[in-house]
Amino acid sequence: MRLMHTPLPDFYEKLKNAAKRLRPETEVSIRGLENIKTAKLASLRVGRVENEILELTQDPEVAKIEVVLMDRLPETARTVVVKSYDKNGVGKKAILENIYITIPAVDCEVEDMQEVEDRRGALAVADPV
Amino acid sequence: MNQLKYKVVPQGAAEGRIPINLVYIDKKDVDAAGIYMKDACAAVAKDLNAPASIDVIDLDAVTVTSDGIMAPCAVVAFASADRGIINPEFGFIGVSEKPYSTQIVKEEPHLRQWNTEYYHGRRLYRGPYGSDMLPRWTMNETQTVTGRIANNNTGSEVMNVVDMTEILTPIFGMHQIMHDGEVLVGMSGPEVSVGIGMIVREHNGRIFGWGSVPAGGTAHASGIYAKTVKSDCAIMAATKSVHAQFVLRAINCGMVVARDISSSPVNLAIARAIGSPIDVDNISKDAWIELESVGFDRKWVESKPEKLLTQEELVAQADDILPGIEGGKKFKVSDIVEVRYAAY
Repeated sequence: MRLMHTPLPDFYEKLKNAAKRLRPETEVSIRGLENIKTAKLASLRVGRVENEILELTQDPEVAKIEVVLMDRLPETARTVVVKSYDKNGVGKKAILENIYITIPAVDCEVEDMQEVEDRRGALAVADPV
Repeated sequence: MNQLKYKVVPQGAAEGRIPINLVYIDKKDVDAAGIYMKDACAAVAKDLNAPASIDVIDLDAVTVTSDGIMAPCAVVAFASADRGIINPEFGFIGVSEKPYSTQIVKEEPHLRQWNTEYYHGRRLYRGPYGSDMLPRWTMNETQTVTGRIANNNTGSEVMNVVDMTEILTPIFGMHQIMHDGEVLVGMSGPEVSVGIGMIVREHNGRIFGWGSVPAGGTAHASGIYAKTVKSDCAIMAATKSVHAQFVLRAINCGMVVARDISSSPVNLAIARAIGSPIDVDNISKDAWIELESVGFDRKWVESKPEKLLTQEELVAQADDILPGIEGGKKFKVSDIVEVRYAAY
């Protein structure tokens, strides 16, 4: 099943391996998915990121790779689950809400970079009704 | 190299009350330059090279405040700038015109103000259409984001999402900036916090769409907490006497508070002070909870003041009659604004 989506632990492993492939002493930092404990990632994109890490480490001056995962849109809608439990831990009632969160745009992550190459796919969404 | 004029209310202006750079560009200057509004915003972002909101204002157009008062200018494009750039995907939104029709005036009774001598024939801009918002989608707020700066609610609410400062910039305050008048700068306080949730129902409104609540209701619907939603952020508004004059224009063309225009504390206070009708029965239960939390209970709203004021008296006493804004101080626009020129 090599074409399956990549499990989250494998994703971290693959990225770390890619960063250290040329020089094992290369530092690696991956952040942004701390709240996600179980997930699958599109394998095609995982492979692309692995290649991009490898590409950056071709530069012999590179000593550290930092990978940041952030929402593609700087403003996203979240579902809020407000739950109540009794003293025995038995679930009583849940209320679902929407909430919107605006985060610093990607510009803040790349402000100190000498060069930025944007290989992201263009955002394409259906016309709003 | 040509030069595009813009105005900036710099961070720290108004004796430290302005937390974020606020930029305003006159649409006429963009037209005279013969460039797109997006390119004008990019030129200003590059020149300023600092975190800022940018609003392009058309002084020949009209818009509508949250609480249903027509204003003699409109935000026709808005942007967020940081470190010299506008984010290419999320940093700019142009606002499409809402064409006049008898149908829309019928559906949105507050738009009868559009037919008055003050506003007749002007183009109307409120919020962006869905197509203006792409690649955002309909659940997104009417907001631009570049770097640290979010310019929300069609250019009327600016946030720095790193230091988390925030300022409300109601349209009449922007109107004063453009006309070198006077602004009132302070903290918004609980009455403004409640008032900005009391809206009128509009197609493609500045913040909400047609699915939202009508006059007399509350879009916040957050009970006693509504007064805290935006009470602790800065605000740059028109002076209360100027604001009162625009509300009086609306009332004088037959707008009834809580029926045609919203039951915001300011609208209620003005209508009660001059004895103008208030559709008290049309105020929703949720709205009453929020109004009562800032001292506007039904008994007070229905009571007659000791002496009804003339409209002239109301304008003269506006600082005492109109609720909202804490620690506010009036500033001449010329004392807090810098005029700059960006190369394009």
